[in-house]
Amino acid sequence: MTITAATPKPGLLVEGLRVAFGGLVAVDGLNLEAPVGRITGLIGPNGAGKSTMFDSCSGFNRPSAGRVSFAGIDLTGAPPVRRAHVGIGRTFQRIELFDSLTVRTNVAMGREARFAGRSPLTQLWARRSEKVEVAEATDEALALCGLEDIAEERAGSLSTGQRRLVELARALCGGHELLLLDEPSSGLDPHESKEFGRLLRLAVEKWGSGILVVEHDMSLIAAVCDYVYVLDFGRLIFEGTAAEVLSSDTVRIAYLGTEPIPEVDA
Amino acid sequence: MRQLLPFIVVGLASGAVYGLAGVGLVLTYRTSGVFNFAHGAVASAGAFAFFELHEQHGLAWPLAALFVVGVFGPLMGIILELVGRRLAEVGPGLRVVATVGLLLAISGMATIIYGAQTRGLPQFLPTRTFRLFDVNVGYDQVILVAVGLVVTVLLSAMLRKARIGLAMRAVVDDPALLELTGLEAPTVRRAAWMIGSALAAGSGLLLAPLIGLDPLLLTLLVVQAFGAAALGRFRNLGLTFAGGLGIGVLAAVSQRYVADYPSLGGFPSSLPFIVLFVVLLASRPGSLFDIAEVRRRAATPLSPLPAAWRNALLAVGAVAVVFLPSIVGVRIQVYISGAAYVMVFLSLGLLVKTSGQVSLCHAAFVATGAATFSHLRVDAGLPWFLALLGAGLLAVPVGAFVAIPAIRLSGVYLALATFGFGVLMERMVYRTFLLFGSEGTRLAPRPDFIFNGESERVYFYVAVAFAVVAAVAVRRLQRARLGRLLEALSDSPKALTSLGASVTTALVLLFCGSAFLAGIAGALLASGSRTAGPSGLGAFQSLLWLGVIAIAGSRVISSSVIAAVLLAIVPIYLPAGWRDYQPVAFGLAALAVALLSGRVDWVGKLRNALAGNDRAQRSPLRGRRLDPGWGDAMTRKALTRDGVLPLGARRPEVAG
Repeated sequence: MTITAATPKPGLLVEGLRVAFGGLVAVDGLNLEAPVGRITGLIGPNGAGKSTMFDSCSGFNRPSAGRVSFAGIDLTGAPPVRRAHVGIGRTFQRIELFDSLTVRTNVAMGREARFAGRSPLTQLWARRSEKVEVAEATDEALALCGLEDIAEERAGSLSTGQRRLVELARALCGGHELLLLDEPSSGLDPHESKEFGRLLRLAVEKWGSGILVVEHDMSLIAAVCDYVYVLDFGRLIFEGTAAEVLSSDTVRIAYLGTEPIPEVDA
Repeated sequence: MRQLLPFIVVGLASGAVYGLAGVGLVLTYRTSGVFNFAHGAVASAGAFAFFELHEQHGLAWPLAALFVVGVFGPLMGIILELVGRRLAEVGPGLRVVATVGLLLAISGMATIIYGAQTRGLPQFLPTRTFRLFDVNVGYDQVILVAVGLVVTVLLSAMLRKARIGLAMRAVVDDPALLELTGLEAPTVRRAAWMIGSALAAGSGLLLAPLIGLDPLLLTLLVVQAFGAAALGRFRNLGLTFAGGLGIGVLAAVSQRYVADYPSLGGFPSSLPFIVLFVVLLASRPGSLFDIAEVRRRAATPLSPLPAAWRNALLAVGAVAVVFLPSIVGVRIQVYISGAAYVMVFLSLGLLVKTSGQVSLCHAAFVATGAATFSHLRVDAGLPWFLALLGAGLLAVPVGAFVAIPAIRLSGVYLALATFGFGVLMERMVYRTFLLFGSEGTRLAPRPDFIFNGESERVYFYVAVAFAVVAAVAVRRLQRARLGRLLEALSDSPKALTSLGASVTTALVLLFCGSAFLAGIAGALLASGSRTAGPSGLGAFQSLLWLGVIAIAGSRVISSSVIAAVLLAIVPIYLPAGWRDYQPVAFGLAALAVALLSGRVDWVGKLRNALAGNDRAQRSPLRGRRLDPGWGDAMTRKALTRDGVLPLGARRPEVAG
């Protein structure tokens, strides 16, 4: 791996982001920062605009206003491919694996696709040095996620838990400085989700990557996140450490849709 | 304007029939998720059934029409529903293969029974006319428009109001959920297929008096319906019908204008394809996506052929090639084209098998190569080899052009766009100076450089050498980075993009490479027969090729050889009468392959058996669990959280 936990970098910066689908404003005036070397959480009820915001960060939709930048580079209108090259990797809420390929090839593709890039020449052939690097990064990512035993299985034949891990390993293999993880624990049971959290911490400690994670599972958020943003109806309603979020009335209202039990304290 | 009125009246009448066919097509597509390429073939079958009853057996036309629309069409619909049900499990590529196979089979049967020539079918509707705004309007024309309007309005109302209509709209979103409400999904689909096929049959018998009874023409002409359906964005019945009217009027009016320019003679009839192509290209990326998610089974893993077997096969092949010219005598001509077809199928297989793309315009690439070779060799006087290379290179821009729809579209829409492009090339470009010229054929001499290509034996060896080099190149490509990218691309372009590899670049490379090979194959083919001409390279041929390569197995190189043998060589050893059945046989076989996909991959099975490998039979779930219980809880959770969505709620592609 080439990326090390060096001095803290600015990471992902979202300023005044607004995304509208026709008349529906999915995200409105969102400000958010996800530094490299930390795990940042983004939570909110279904339909709060979390995945929309993710898609804006990785270039799958077009914001109507606002700015997305990474390490000081403006990415607002950049295509997904460029964002990957700048250092943003991601996983998907509905897992997107290469089902007919083996786990190893899937994971390797995380690095190989970055080498392939946009030029016809780099897409056609791999250089020898690149091959070595891909193989090393693949082994490392497989080992970290504990996937060596099933490395030769086809991705399409795995269970959801295993598929989540493969997708994570593939993103890690890319050596991105920041990973956007879209509901990585959906489809996992509490035990699996705990394991997953441990893995995320490990990845950050070992490689100094930054992670921005969208999650429903509050226990995972509480366990791994350094800082948490709470989104509701496309707007930021709260931000702070996991502990602060858990004790916040605003957040509880947003999630439960009711007023808090009257007058605990003024 | 006044002069245009008669053309508009004619256009509205034929446009109403196109619209009607389009409405039927959209209805079946929306309810089953299967886009029926054989819709036109059903129409032509309906027209022939009507011809048989009315003209041959003297049945009064209302009775004959009633039978065709009320009995024949729905019966076809029941069969199609059975086909469509099986297709729910296969990928978009195989769905195209299946209905294209059906098209080949139906139109092939019609050709065998009624011959390939066009028969006239007298207009059976009343043809008396009346004056309207100084134009003679026929009652038949009024009837056509009225029928189209009434049917469209009734169907739209049914989809909005009636219980079965609502069920038809729901069935494609979530069949399981629909069944909870007490309606069986197959029943609902069957109803839609019966109505859709009745409309197809009806439009066939209404169209036949206007354009004549011709198995091929009718099959392709109801493809106007594709254009109409595209204008209705493949979902709106009213817009589809309006689109049909628009296409009819534009085609008729343009008829008047192109009368002065003979070179544009192909324009009016190809207008629907232009519309189709433009609409598909102009649509916002992502706005047209294949409805009905594929419930995909993991493909059967293929074990490589054991080295000993492969070497033995190669050795036998090499010996056969060396001695073939001495054994087969004058039939060597056929083997020469067979070798060229191996290249054609290598180039097609590269698209279809390695990256899951669909091309229904491959004949256009090959034709470009053949014609370019002739231009370069004869007109420009280039040496044979350079002319051949040039033929390949000049096919590349055509391939790059077709990559544009491939980047923006996938699955059935890509198939439609490429088919539209193939028809356009055949009707508007083949006979211009760019390709074969107005005479139709051009000279394409044999090589006389270093070796004496006039000798059949030598030219055969040359053609085989080219095929071998092409096969090696394809194999190298598959194993290079691009090969891996393309495989990944066929599974998830979105993931590949997010990882940093440009899907656009990969697709352009793929189509350019494929077109290059096809261009060289075209030149080889032309030089083999010493003439370059459009015969055997029509748009219909592309359909046949797709059918053949679908039945030849799943590995690119072996399937190319098998496909070439099936297409070019087997027929000459069959009794003359059997050859007519070739399209029917290929069509049915392709349909069978698609329906039984994965289960009758005989080449793969053979390979696995030879390798003594039973991986295919083992459970795909034998992967070791990371932790006991990993998965069961997930199923429960997924069921309660993701599985149950309210009726009509669509899971958005990228949003949450």
